[in-house]
Amino acid sequence: MPMNRDNMPKDSQQDQPVVFVVDDDRSVRDALEDLLASVGLGSMLFASSQEFLQAERPDAPACLVLDVRMPGLSGLDFQDELARQGLYIPIVFITAHGDIPMSVRAMKGGAIEFLTKPFRDQDLLDAIQQGIARDRIRRQEEAVRQDLRRRYASLNQGERAVMDLVIKGLLNKQIAGMLDVSEITVKVRRGRVMRKIGAQSLADLVRFAERIHEADRGWRD
Amino acid sequence: MRRSARVEGVEPRPTAVGTAEKDDGVIENRPGLAEIAVTLRWAFMLGLMVVIFVADTITALEIAVAVFYVAVVLIADGFLRRRGVLVVAASCIVLTLASFFFTHAGAYEAGVINCALSLCAIAITTYLALTRSSVILAEHEARAQLVRLARVNTLGEMTASIAHEVNQPLTAVVTSANAGLRWLAAGPPNLGKARQALERIIGDANRASDIVAQVRNLSKRADPRADWQEAPVLVAGVVALSRGELDRNGVRVRVRPADGLPLVLADSVQVQQVLLNIVLNAIDAMAATPAERRELAIDLACEVPGFVRFSIRDHGTGVPPEAVAGIFDAFYTTKPQGMGIGLAVSRSIVEAHGGRIWVEPQPEGGAVFHFTLRARQTRG
Repeated sequence: MPMNRDNMPKDSQQDQPVVFVVDDDRSVRDALEDLLASVGLGSMLFASSQEFLQAERPDAPACLVLDVRMPGLSGLDFQDELARQGLYIPIVFITAHGDIPMSVRAMKGGAIEFLTKPFRDQDLLDAIQQGIARDRIRRQEEAVRQDLRRRYASLNQGERAVMDLVIKGLLNKQIAGMLDVSEITVKVRRGRVMRKIGAQSLADLVRFAERIHEADRGWRD
Repeated sequence: MRRSARVEGVEPRPTAVGTAEKDDGVIENRPGLAEIAVTLRWAFMLGLMVVIFVADTITALEIAVAVFYVAVVLIADGFLRRRGVLVVAASCIVLTLASFFFTHAGAYEAGVINCALSLCAIAITTYLALTRSSVILAEHEARAQLVRLARVNTLGEMTASIAHEVNQPLTAVVTSANAGLRWLAAGPPNLGKARQALERIIGDANRASDIVAQVRNLSKRADPRADWQEAPVLVAGVVALSRGELDRNGVRVRVRPADGLPLVLADSVQVQQVLLNIVLNAIDAMAATPAERRELAIDLACEVPGFVRFSIRDHGTGVPPEAVAGIFDAFYTTKPQGMGIGLAVSRSIVEAHGGRIWVEPQPEGGAVFHFTLRARQTRG
């Protein structure tokens, strides 16, 4: 996604990305803030993972730059903690002394990048942009899924029963038999389901249903 | 703020001049005093030689006053180098022979025998004295090497931490420099921001060099030099140096100096070595302690006049009562990779400073290591 500094303030507030920096070293935090500012990225600085969790964070596409070694909760444990709390922020790790097991654990946990201090600024900025782009897509998908979930919630019990059987590929007559209602009723309910969900065809309906169930299982699996 | 703690921890370079160390390892401090002591010894020794020579010459040949020259040789051995002692011994032999030729009273044969006995006594005493001082010297040398070995060993355990401590400011330097370049490359260049970046770079580079200086201070082969030091400054230096290790293990440190502490007589490198050793041991001992109790309290107090007491309290595994007596012995260790010299060296350093070191197990778990250093009676 192209970043245009001059256009940023005109964009909707929600779309302006923010970079969270969690590092216990003040010098490193300040330098990172300045580097990000020089490419037009806004940042929020935190000295520890606790501070990050307690702070009020803006609802915007974000990326988290995380130091591995910190007093209290380490960066890797913090990654697990975020996953437990359902906070899916793309993470770029920075560490002074990275080893292979550490980076394997970080990448398995879904990290964007694992950089060794001192890092090349372009590597860090690329990783951050990638993280923000990933977060933006996630947020859009999440919004669509929310919408679908809301629509599904607006169906009544009878309509839901019809929908579940329709997407299994059953014919109206079979559904009528299974639900012990008339074929006309099934047709009416089916029409209402298509309208409420916003599906143009049976294929649409199947695809939406899949997404709704995907959302129920959770975004990550 | 960690940053300010680091700056405070930067120890001023010892400005000690006029401190001298005697061969036996006792640290002498008052400027000029050592020189006066040497002059007095010279005067006393030469006076004694003259007295013996006169007495030997005016008494009869049967009276062997010359054997008292052994006292002169022993005095010379106390403060002169090997060559000086040999010169003094040779002078004594010459004077003995001179007295023999100048003396006319008494039996000649008895004189020859007495003279020969005196010469033998001088020669044997000189030989034994020189042998003894070379042994003392070798022992002193060995102890100094052990102290340094223990220090390098301690620093070796901290390599990862030190690397981390140096890498942090370097990362900030590189990042700030990149940010500065980007501010300059912007159109129009943002000079104010670029200047700020440069100022941050200077601050961080100085911080890195302070850390390097601390490490070099501890690892260099330095002659022991004692000076009047601020006890809290000594502690702050050690806390700054072990910051990485403390953070990595989630150990909090509280330093509580009593009000109006007097200055302490300390070789800062050696005393910091003692502190570092105790702090690192405490961190190891607290590895299994629940995170919220991992606290290290360093108290500085002046309860006994003339001494400042350093007390380092941890909440670790503690010291079993049967080990309290032996914990400061060489090769006593509870660590699989330990050499068991850290605390032994600590004791010899503290005792060379005229202080005492001991450990106290805590009833609620953990241990307190105390040591004392001589303090200036009044502040100023």
